[in-house]
Amino acid sequence: MTVVIQDLSYAYPDGDWALRELSLHVQPGEFLSIMGANGAGKSTLCLALNGIVPQATGGRIRGNVTINGLNTKEHSVATFSKQVGIVFQNPEAQLFSVNVEAEVAFGLENLGLPREEMQERIDWALKLLKIEPLRHRSPSQLSGGERQRLAIASVLAMTPPFLVLDEPSANLDSNGKRELLAALQDLKGTSGLTVIMAEHETELIAEFFDRVAVLDRGRLVRLEPPERLFADVSGMHALGLGVPQVSEVAACLNGEFGTDLSLTRYQEAHRNLKLVSDSN
Amino acid sequence: MQLKAESMSVSPEFYIPGRSWLHDTDPRAKLLMLALTVMLLLMFQNLWVMLVAWFLILGVHRSAKVPRDRILFLLRALLPVTILMPIIWLIFYPAGEVILSFGFINIHGESLAIGLTVALRIQVMTFAIFALLFTTDTDTLMQGLVRLRMPYTWGLMLSLALRYVPNFVGSYTSIQQAQQARGLEYASARGLNRVREMMPVLVPMIIGSFRRSEQMAIALEARGFGAPGVQRTFLKAIRMRRLDWAFIALILVVTLGLITLNVLYEFGTDPLSLFP
Amino acid sequence: MTEIESRKLRFSYSENDDVLKSVSIQIDKGEFVALIGQNGSGKTTLAKHLIGLLRPNEGTVLIQGEDIRDQPVGEIARRVGYVFQNPDHQIFSATLREEISYGPQNLQIGKADIDLRTEQAMERFDLTGHAEQQPAMLSYGLRRKVALASIYAMDPQIWILDEPTGGLDWRSEQETMTLLHELNEAGKTIVLITHDMRIVAEHAERCIVMSKGRVVASDATRQIMEQDEALDILPPQVWRLGRALNLQRVPLTVEAFCREFGKHLAAESGVDVGLP
Repeated sequence: MTVVIQDLSYAYPDGDWALRELSLHVQPGEFLSIMGANGAGKSTLCLALNGIVPQATGGRIRGNVTINGLNTKEHSVATFSKQVGIVFQNPEAQLFSVNVEAEVAFGLENLGLPREEMQERIDWALKLLKIEPLRHRSPSQLSGGERQRLAIASVLAMTPPFLVLDEPSANLDSNGKRELLAALQDLKGTSGLTVIMAEHETELIAEFFDRVAVLDRGRLVRLEPPERLFADVSGMHALGLGVPQVSEVAACLNGEFGTDLSLTRYQEAHRNLKLVSDSN
Repeated sequence: MQLKAESMSVSPEFYIPGRSWLHDTDPRAKLLMLALTVMLLLMFQNLWVMLVAWFLILGVHRSAKVPRDRILFLLRALLPVTILMPIIWLIFYPAGEVILSFGFINIHGESLAIGLTVALRIQVMTFAIFALLFTTDTDTLMQGLVRLRMPYTWGLMLSLALRYVPNFVGSYTSIQQAQQARGLEYASARGLNRVREMMPVLVPMIIGSFRRSEQMAIALEARGFGAPGVQRTFLKAIRMRRLDWAFIALILVVTLGLITLNVLYEFGTDPLSLFP
Repeated sequence: MTEIESRKLRFSYSENDDVLKSVSIQIDKGEFVALIGQNGSGKTTLAKHLIGLLRPNEGTVLIQGEDIRDQPVGEIARRVGYVFQNPDHQIFSATLREEISYGPQNLQIGKADIDLRTEQAMERFDLTGHAEQQPAMLSYGLRRKVALASIYAMDPQIWILDEPTGGLDWRSEQETMTLLHELNEAGKTIVLITHDMRIVAEHAERCIVMSKGRVVASDATRQIMEQDEALDILPPQVWRLGRALNLQRVPLTVEAFCREFGKHLAAESGVDVGLP
């Protein structure tokens, strides 16, 4: 039950190679983040995970992406919609129904499910994302955070074992980001769900993700747990990427006082620094 | 590929949520009613018939609990046409006896009747269409059309188009503001020059629509749209009730009756007299 | 010297729904101010009033001491540059060069001047290599730069930027903030609308906080951070950490944290760690 990417290279029609010889093996149940500068290929990689690349986008492709044994070049995108759910940055381009319930129903209707089963799955998805009270509201009346949760719910209702999110927090204000975080927290508790998320917000990544895949101009250049990745502050900066502030603090303190700190999360930083100052 | 958000505008539905006999009627029955109404309207030329039809359709709207302000909005929108039609007929197609005279201007009875009939027909047709749109939400309407054998893709295209009209219109404002902030001003009011001046607003609007359509298409596919070999189902499936069949029977009978009167007895074929 | 002032602005799109309730602000020449608040707080609406894109129902807006009530946007745009959140709302030209020269063309300066400013803007943002390319086809990061360059070429005294770093990678974010810092050093007044409290802490001397159409706080950044709970904002990690560790002067930046933490350790152990 995995996602296997083997030597994947992809170029959009009349474009340069957007992905170059990428190989990656996603572990079932893991939370994997994809980082990279604008244009590094994060979105392209996300779309390659359900066959949109190359089937809807054309272009040239080499190598393979296999989802649970099915090759994305050989089966329709609709087939993969049951395996991989994708949520995009811009809810505008995904939400179009009359109300929340209808929105979540859309994917299920496409799969031709019987009504009773649809209703069950809708209720389950709404509850999971905590938007049950919004059932009859129009998406235009929802806040940014609520819209993203709706987008996630409408995709999870199809019970894919993999959820892919392409920079979901990009257009959210701080409240919205908080709501998204909480939703991710709940999802982590849901057994069996593998989450792949393209993201810039390092503090978000540090909080929830098991591994980070870093793309640089289409190539996979790092694949590590956030603790190790963010400890290399200068390395990340060289790639044009940031790190959580506490990681910068650790690097700064290590430089100034010769300490050997490695910090990626806030709570951890608080604890460790308190120890340091107490032991003085 | 960057997908950026814009503020979501209000849904463009003409639909007015509510419960009434018309709201509850199956969309297929309503579509049939609309089709027959349009057909009948084209068959009848009589002013009094049109007047009765006008009162009837307004009665339908009121009984469906359509708020007064919506009805007034439509009436106001139709006002220019309503005034224009009789004027056109009086000027270009004078016929019948002169019933009034102001110096040079002669008001011919028959022309006035025809002009008013045309105006009323347009009004009744508009109200008939809106009787459907006000009482049927987009999804239900689409489902009705699909069950009548229209391909689902067309229905989705139509409802997506409707849904994005306000976004498109809204983007005009946002884009115009962005360009005004760089000094855009509309100086010339007319023709090609005006279009050239509007390029800074039109071009981003169009590019934006293309971008959004592309994103939308991908998002739809990613949710299983167009799955081969799958019979699509609907959450809120529409079903004909006995009342709907009765309704259909009623309008068929009335239609047949009116057609008979019209064809055999020339009922309503003359602008002024019912049975010429 | 008050550069930007609003007095008791009230604004609404429709009856009974004031987006701005009574907003009075003052920003001095050369200040770097962050305008913060949740979506719907009215911050963008207020910002649009400062360039005349929106006109208030009540109240006054003064730019450099002048009431802008009767000035068209194009005129105000010579002094106030507004960079919109979505670069795709502006980009419409066939080449990048034309795109950037659009703004200066509206400034009523000679052709030589327009060309000079265009070249300088392209150079500043490293876009000269793309001068003949279609700006709409460039990557998102570059399109953002095009939007900035377009306003840069107009050289306004006042810059208002709406979420200039949203969706940008770290390097682009740094470059943008470096630009703003440069502009501020050169005496320009900067008004930055943003959600990113880390950027606010690092660059803004003052914050104006809005909520539900009102200004709920207007103070030095440090004071604003201290009221985080009341104002419903989340200060950056270094601030929260510094406060939790009881550092004497709660830091706004990583460097400041380092220094303060060192002092804290020294104070605790009584050892002189040899810090500046």
